[in-house]
Amino acid sequence: MSYIHFPVIAVMTLFMGAFLTVVLGRHSKGVRSFIALAASCVSFALIAMLVKPVMIDGEIISYWMGNWAPMSGYAIGIGYEVDQLGLFFALLVVTTILLSAVYSIRYIEKDSSQDFYYVLFLMLSGSVLGLVMTGDVFNMFIMIEIMTFTAVGLTAFRNTSFGAVEAGFKYLVIGSIGSSFTLFGIAVLYGQCHTLNMAQLSAMLYGNHSPATLMAFALMFTGLAVKSYIVPFHTPAADAYTTAPSSISMVFSGMVNKAGVYGMIRLVYIIFRTVDMPSVQTLIVLFGTVTMFIGVTMALAQHDFKRLLAFHSISQIGYVITAAGLCTSLGLSAGLFHAMNHTLFKGLLFLCAGAVLRSTGTTNLDQLGGLSKRMPKTTLCFLVGAFSISGLPPFNGFASKWLVYQAAYEKAVTTGNIFYAFVTVTAVVVSVMTLASFIKVTQAAFFGQLPARLADVEEAPGLMLLPMYIMSLLCVGTGIFYDKVYQYLLDPAVRAAFTVSNYIDRMMGDGYAEAAGVEDVFASNPHFSYWNPVIWLALFVIVFCAAYICVVTSKGSRGQILSDEGGAEDGKYATFFSGEKALPSHVAGSDLFWGFKTDWKGYFRVMEGLHSGIVNDYALYVVAAAAFVVVFTFAFLR
Amino acid sequence: MNFSLIGALQILFKILIFPGLLFVVVIGLFLAGIDRKLVARMQKRVGPPLRQPWFDFLKLLGKETIVPHAANKAVYLAAPVIGFTGLVVMALFIPVFGYSTFSGNGDLIVLLYLLTIPAVALIIGGSASGSPYAGIGISREMVTMMSYELPLIIILLSVARKVGGSALCFSLGQIVNWQASNGCLAFHPALIPAMLAMLLVIPAEVGTQPFDVAEAETEICEGPLIEYSGAPLAVFKLNTAMKMFIMTALFTNLFFGGVSTASLIGAGIPAIALDAVIMVLICIVVTFLSMSLIHAITARFKIEHLFKFYWTVVAGLAALSLVLVWFGL
Amino acid sequence: MLKNAIAKSMMRSPWIYHINTGSCNGCDIELVAVLTPRYDAERFGFKLAGTPRHADIVVISGPVTSQSKDRLIRTLAQVPEPKCVVTLGSCPQSGNVFKGSYSVEAPVENFVHVDVAIAGCTVKPEAVIAGLYKAAEILEKKREAMNK
Repeated sequence: MSYIHFPVIAVMTLFMGAFLTVVLGRHSKGVRSFIALAASCVSFALIAMLVKPVMIDGEIISYWMGNWAPMSGYAIGIGYEVDQLGLFFALLVVTTILLSAVYSIRYIEKDSSQDFYYVLFLMLSGSVLGLVMTGDVFNMFIMIEIMTFTAVGLTAFRNTSFGAVEAGFKYLVIGSIGSSFTLFGIAVLYGQCHTLNMAQLSAMLYGNHSPATLMAFALMFTGLAVKSYIVPFHTPAADAYTTAPSSISMVFSGMVNKAGVYGMIRLVYIIFRTVDMPSVQTLIVLFGTVTMFIGVTMALAQHDFKRLLAFHSISQIGYVITAAGLCTSLGLSAGLFHAMNHTLFKGLLFLCAGAVLRSTGTTNLDQLGGLSKRMPKTTLCFLVGAFSISGLPPFNGFASKWLVYQAAYEKAVTTGNIFYAFVTVTAVVVSVMTLASFIKVTQAAFFGQLPARLADVEEAPGLMLLPMYIMSLLCVGTGIFYDKVYQYLLDPAVRAAFTVSNYIDRMMGDGYAEAAGVEDVFASNPHFSYWNPVIWLALFVIVFCAAYICVVTSKGSRGQILSDEGGAEDGKYATFFSGEKALPSHVAGSDLFWGFKTDWKGYFRVMEGLHSGIVNDYALYVVAAAAFVVVFTFAFLR
Repeated sequence: MNFSLIGALQILFKILIFPGLLFVVVIGLFLAGIDRKLVARMQKRVGPPLRQPWFDFLKLLGKETIVPHAANKAVYLAAPVIGFTGLVVMALFIPVFGYSTFSGNGDLIVLLYLLTIPAVALIIGGSASGSPYAGIGISREMVTMMSYELPLIIILLSVARKVGGSALCFSLGQIVNWQASNGCLAFHPALIPAMLAMLLVIPAEVGTQPFDVAEAETEICEGPLIEYSGAPLAVFKLNTAMKMFIMTALFTNLFFGGVSTASLIGAGIPAIALDAVIMVLICIVVTFLSMSLIHAITARFKIEHLFKFYWTVVAGLAALSLVLVWFGL
Repeated sequence: MLKNAIAKSMMRSPWIYHINTGSCNGCDIELVAVLTPRYDAERFGFKLAGTPRHADIVVISGPVTSQSKDRLIRTLAQVPEPKCVVTLGSCPQSGNVFKGSYSVEAPVENFVHVDVAIAGCTVKPEAVIAGLYKAAEILEKKREAMNK
């Protein structure tokens, strides 16, 4: 069997899994878990086997469903086309699916109607995987629809918990508006070009925009932006990520909003190739910068663990969009790298939140505390995730954020546009604020004092810890060996995005792109030289071990280290409480960053007003933003 | 990299003695002593001897280390060492003018992030001690960090723009070399606001008065350090001293990078030694201006005022520089 | 060698933690006066610490009211060894004018080991410096004893 069938089989396996769950998995828990695991393993293996031919050998897979190849230069059938960019996102998707499936086994064991959970989960997985590999715009729309409706179902899965149905409803409304825009855009496009194949569209639209296609661009751009939850479309995401089960929140932030990001990249880089225009770059970077800033400031104001993570998801997508919108090879590498890292660390953090929720029954940061004593493994994983997302060296978040800054500032100095310099500054400041809000979680949930209520909380079971460990290792590994990641994953994907003609020729036959006048603008190779995490880490570990031995373990001349393991009530080991008898006292989430919050209270008041929780308002934001994009497109795009 | 024995010994020398561990520790504690002496002299006191930080450090080594009930022991004991290690490794990235451990490279953004490691270590350590005072302390430390990070990045970008022109330049080595041929950045009028801003960023980064809101001993009992005693506390105090040197050395490289003597007396060990001496002298001046002077004449900020001060006055100065540099001054 | 250096440093860098157990504030002011330019105790390395965990010398002022007795004992327990206890003024030693009150627990020696007692009502700054210096010497001896 040749590997050109693998993409379709991978998608079909997941959909078949959903079907089989309905048929066989109604009564047996084992069968359900087995089907989900088996389907996700198979699709993971199939996609992983494509790395060699596609990423390393540089082949692009094209596959016509039912062998409906183009006739007389027009694509009729549905085509799957897996280029390096698509495969990059497909890898993120299958990794997320697999880890989430493993995590789900224990995580949802106490929920009712698990068969529905698995059906929806597998449908969602299949649709996102299909979305990133399809070569047909309408097929993409169908996948978006399946994705949206399964996601709505999963959002409201724990419908007994507070706000789940409401979140599902918001998601439904906003998601449907987004889908409608996409559909409308596709319809306009079809009317103009009489084809739905991406490659052919790309060839036809290259440097050839009529008002109708510009309208289609604006609508599709908005529709896909809704799916990637950038501001101002982020409003349903915050609720959905909070109320969905954590395994699903991880899927949402790991692949569902990546699907939107993928769609936007595909749209502006391949289908319309509008990203070379400075005005489009400005538009995307503006959206990205606003997204990362509003996301992170909203996150600072949250005191629910998962809601905070949800706003960080929004904020990190802002980084991805900003970097991708710069339209330099360094920028797109940075964006893709950050997208990948975001999948890893945000997934990890959502899994940690899930472990905390399962053990303690709450994610309210004002009611948690001191969990590091009871859940040390979760704490370790959480710290890895928190340091990664805050971009501390040598974790992966640092490597990608560093590339984002470099890309943004390179853009600033080469174009002489001071706007991009302020984008760089914003990105750095947002990064510090990200650190701040994760310090808040660390203090409020994992360190500090353990409330009596949580005194006998238990560590998460091994099957839940396993995906967390894997993701932690990946977070560290991709941070240290980022040059390998660049070489094998990012560079091919970036090249694919910049060489449109390959994409067109592979699907429509050699010479098609040339005939349509498509020229590839190839960008130079990014250089990274100054940061060598391997040497740095080696130094760090050596010096750390030496210093640790000197400080902590040496005996003799030095003072002893006394710690009271027995837990006897000796005043010596009590927390200093100004001389009083130490009472349980914990500085919780809402108490932190007081000085910052008072200085920004005007801003927070406005933001609070804007996030009213009323779905009508949110729908209005979407429509208003769509109007803005349309006006912008017609005013500035040439 | 050369793996011969001599090469390995050279690297070991660089890490352990110069410009790594020993150099940073000795000069850091020396600067801390000078700071205390200068403040005392400005208040018409005699002041402690210059060796005082050494005494403090050694004394703390000899005290018991008490790990409180509420603390997470492993994190509590490891945190100061992580901060210390971060500083030692960072010192290797900061050149002594032309001379540095890793062939003249120190990326500004990497340095910016490495600088956060000691602060994060302090925060995590304080958080792990389980004290409510430490909770308030880490909150303030974090807000302080958010405050100075904005001006700091604008300063770094201004310098990068000035040196790189229309090319991306984040290399500290390149910045120093540029100054060797084009004159120190401190004498370029467009960068004077940035230099003033940097002088104000240093004390917040190090945490000296009036920006020591996080460790305010009179209000919140030393904040994150409240439960620490003995050797871990000694390491934290050492970290502060080392940060003093690293920040002033960074300042020297950014704004006075061109005063290397290598061009006068030829490259070699005497030039490096002389450079090191010059660098320490400039560091002393910077310590005086940015830490001792401000310490002696001001009282502690409130945290919300600190934040406002940095995001308006200091960031404004830095942004002024960026705009001036951007339009070719 | 390190042991000797540490012992020497003990004497050169004593950090003070001050506990007020119901004092009239007179002695407290004199203690602060010791750090002013006129007396400048910092030249001996004295420094006020914010928490008992950092302290070497604990200075107790006031006649130890019964409310503060528990708190005094608890705080003293939290000071890491080696440590010295210094009483400031007459109150902790005898109860001074408050002696015989139902709410005063002085003398403090009854429940706390005191290394140096500085007398006076209020204490003179010179006496405070002399007493603290003596306490610093005791610290060094205690540390040397720990070395053996």
